[in-house]
Amino acid sequence: MLDSIITPDLFAAAIRIATPLALAAIGGTICERSGVVNIALEGIMLTGAFFGTAVVLATGEPWLGVIAAVVAGISISAVHAFASINLRSDQTVSGTAINLLALGVTGFLMKLWYGHPGTTDQIKTLGSVFNFEAPGGGVLAEVWRWVNAILFTHSPIVYLAIIIAIVAQWAVFKTRWGLRLRALGEHPRAVDTVGVNVARGRWIAVLMSGALAGLAGANLTIEQVGSFTENMTNGRGFIALAANIFGRWTPIGSYLASLLFGFADALQIKLQILRGVINVPPQFFQMLPYILTVVVVAGVIGRAVAPAASGVPYRKD
Amino acid sequence: MAVLELRDVTKVFPGVVANDRVSFSLEKGEILALLGENGAGKSTIMNVVYGLLSSDGGEILIDGEPVNMRSPRQAIDLGIGMVHQHFMLIEPLTVTENIVLGREPGRLGVIDFALARTRVVELSERYGLKVDPDAKIADLAVGMQQRVEILKALYQGARVLILDEPTAVLTPQEVRELFAVIRSLVDEGLSVVFITHKLEEVMAVSDRIIVMRAGRVVGETRPEETDDVGLARMMVGRDVVLRVEKPPSTCGDTVLAVKDLHVMGDRGLEAVAGVSFTVCAGEVVAVAGVSGNGQTELIESIVGLRKPTSGTVHLKDIDITHAGPRKSIEAGVSHIPEDRHRRGLVLQFDIAENLVLGDHRLPPYAKNGIMKPKVIAEMAEKRIADYDVRTPSVSVLAGNLSGGNQQKLVVAREIGREPMLLIAAQPTRGLDVGAIEFVHREVLAERARGRAVLLVSLELEEILSLADRVLVMYEGRIVRELSAEEADAETLGYYMTGGGGDKLAADGVVPVMGGQQ
Repeated sequence: MLDSIITPDLFAAAIRIATPLALAAIGGTICERSGVVNIALEGIMLTGAFFGTAVVLATGEPWLGVIAAVVAGISISAVHAFASINLRSDQTVSGTAINLLALGVTGFLMKLWYGHPGTTDQIKTLGSVFNFEAPGGGVLAEVWRWVNAILFTHSPIVYLAIIIAIVAQWAVFKTRWGLRLRALGEHPRAVDTVGVNVARGRWIAVLMSGALAGLAGANLTIEQVGSFTENMTNGRGFIALAANIFGRWTPIGSYLASLLFGFADALQIKLQILRGVINVPPQFFQMLPYILTVVVVAGVIGRAVAPAASGVPYRKD
Repeated sequence: MAVLELRDVTKVFPGVVANDRVSFSLEKGEILALLGENGAGKSTIMNVVYGLLSSDGGEILIDGEPVNMRSPRQAIDLGIGMVHQHFMLIEPLTVTENIVLGREPGRLGVIDFALARTRVVELSERYGLKVDPDAKIADLAVGMQQRVEILKALYQGARVLILDEPTAVLTPQEVRELFAVIRSLVDEGLSVVFITHKLEEVMAVSDRIIVMRAGRVVGETRPEETDDVGLARMMVGRDVVLRVEKPPSTCGDTVLAVKDLHVMGDRGLEAVAGVSFTVCAGEVVAVAGVSGNGQTELIESIVGLRKPTSGTVHLKDIDITHAGPRKSIEAGVSHIPEDRHRRGLVLQFDIAENLVLGDHRLPPYAKNGIMKPKVIAEMAEKRIADYDVRTPSVSVLAGNLSGGNQQKLVVAREIGREPMLLIAAQPTRGLDVGAIEFVHREVLAERARGRAVLLVSLELEEILSLADRVLVMYEGRIVRELSAEEADAETLGYYMTGGGGDKLAADGVVPVMGGQQ
């Protein structure tokens, strides 16, 4: 029983499922570090997923789709940036509006362009980057089989996400941009008084979060599913926000927290095979990642302190 | 030639002229004090100089060259540094990170943290401003944080340093250190503008004094040419009584009786350890003590904000020990809290709303649970006139008033309620001489009306000028009771710092006092 649950593909699935969460969570981290709360990650991801699919459907080129998803993510996050930075509107309201807007616009364009709601046709996807030969027998070969299955069966954005987590971590804590970013989310007036442009810094951060959430959407459609379905993000943007909090507003922390959510999700899929053995409805297992989210956000596993000025519009005088 | 010169600089906020043709100059190597009441426009004019606010007229000259100051960046580039009243430091970041922010050393956007640290250490040694470059700001004491602010300005290449109310948050010891630092900066060739409303500081540290009132420069003098009284007169525009006169007290019935009160503090330790005293009608009883000796908890338990663990509080014949704030107000207790922002006012509410708080559900201000805005507005108009709250209208948000006017607002509400007992906790904190005089007069007027007043203050001067009796609190107990005649600064200071405790015990004197003798 257990060895049919604990298999290499359980861990591989955890990494795969974690990828869109992690990308959006790192986006959320950068955005909140600058002082802007981005609950629009869900909608941005959905927008990226849709336009990515649409471009692949039109051109047949998966990589063009990825670029389109990122551009779409940046574009829609610009709305959030304008509302929360320039208009100083409530960031939760603006984020919610974008989530609803994304849901409506993608559903509308589905019908307009493809003539039906629901799911698009299948698209050409990006497959596994590596394709290593399986060696012969022995213990080493078994170890290799596990390592290969867990680490070397993934599509490009999965690896890109890991690279982004590491680079972003370095950038946030070691570069000029990163220091200013961290300062912005804590005390924007202090940043203003040393002559750094607050609005510009926040704009860049929000657009970066849009790019990352858009990329997350591309991973969902162009790498994982191979088609777009209405509301297919299904709360991933919100789980990503939780991962960002659990990851203590750090890129690598966000990645690792996403991995935990990914594992919980992969596990619940596996556990559904227990259906015939013990009498538990599958919905119970499907709840697991969300219960984990609530537990994490409620601060059960250690409290984290958010950037002090996160969510607070900056007014010069 | 002046390093900084202002010619007719004007700044207008909607409805208010904050600075009206302000002109003065700062010479190289000079300490210039900018003196004025709260709201006189001192900070505003310097924020204009620093590029945080744009001016609406006039000229700013640096080294004789007119400049159009548009941003702090430009001011920094021109050698102007400013230490703000509320520090511009980022608490989770280190000292070094805070100092180099905006001008980080490094290549291709990557910060050279080692070089940054070295530069900070060099600066701190050069100017004698010792500070740990790796400490997080949140872990530093306020005086230390101020050093970081000064170092930040120096790192940015400041030749002119503007200090906005730098002593407001410092202990007397830290103030002395700051003055030494200022003098050493001037010796190194810097020029300093020192914004303050405290007369003794101006006399102690400045070379020259510019006095501002209501947005205008009203005078210029030097410390050797004037004194406290002269400065106060220039600042307020009339003769100011630095110590209010009062007739002898006429002690009536006992209004407040506190008996063997024990109260826990926030850290789970007993903050008030068995305190008993009474206050009678027409009397001001002051609680003296160094901050943190249980005064705050004592007051909070009397007004119902904190539950005592044992003991009783009686207002006349009513037991208010467990009354809670609402019943306590209804019983006739008014409370001027020590922190007007945290407990005294709702800054996002307007003046009328703040004035009615506490009575907002009672007639005549409300009927059947619905407030009557017209009645409230009329009351508010009357109160702001009576208590001289300077504001264009009663619909201005409390947060937009100056500190002195905010405090007058709290005083207006609490005294306007006509209480039996007035509790005033540090009622003049952060106020300038004119406003202090006003609050003191109001407190004594309450006394003259036959009300009981319990005053808590950290300022000995205030206690000595208002109190009929002084209770000295030390480590949660009343260690000494002194009559107004017995009390002087030296005696109070002695008991406040724990002096006499052993002697009292040796003499078999129970260090708990009560009642009138």
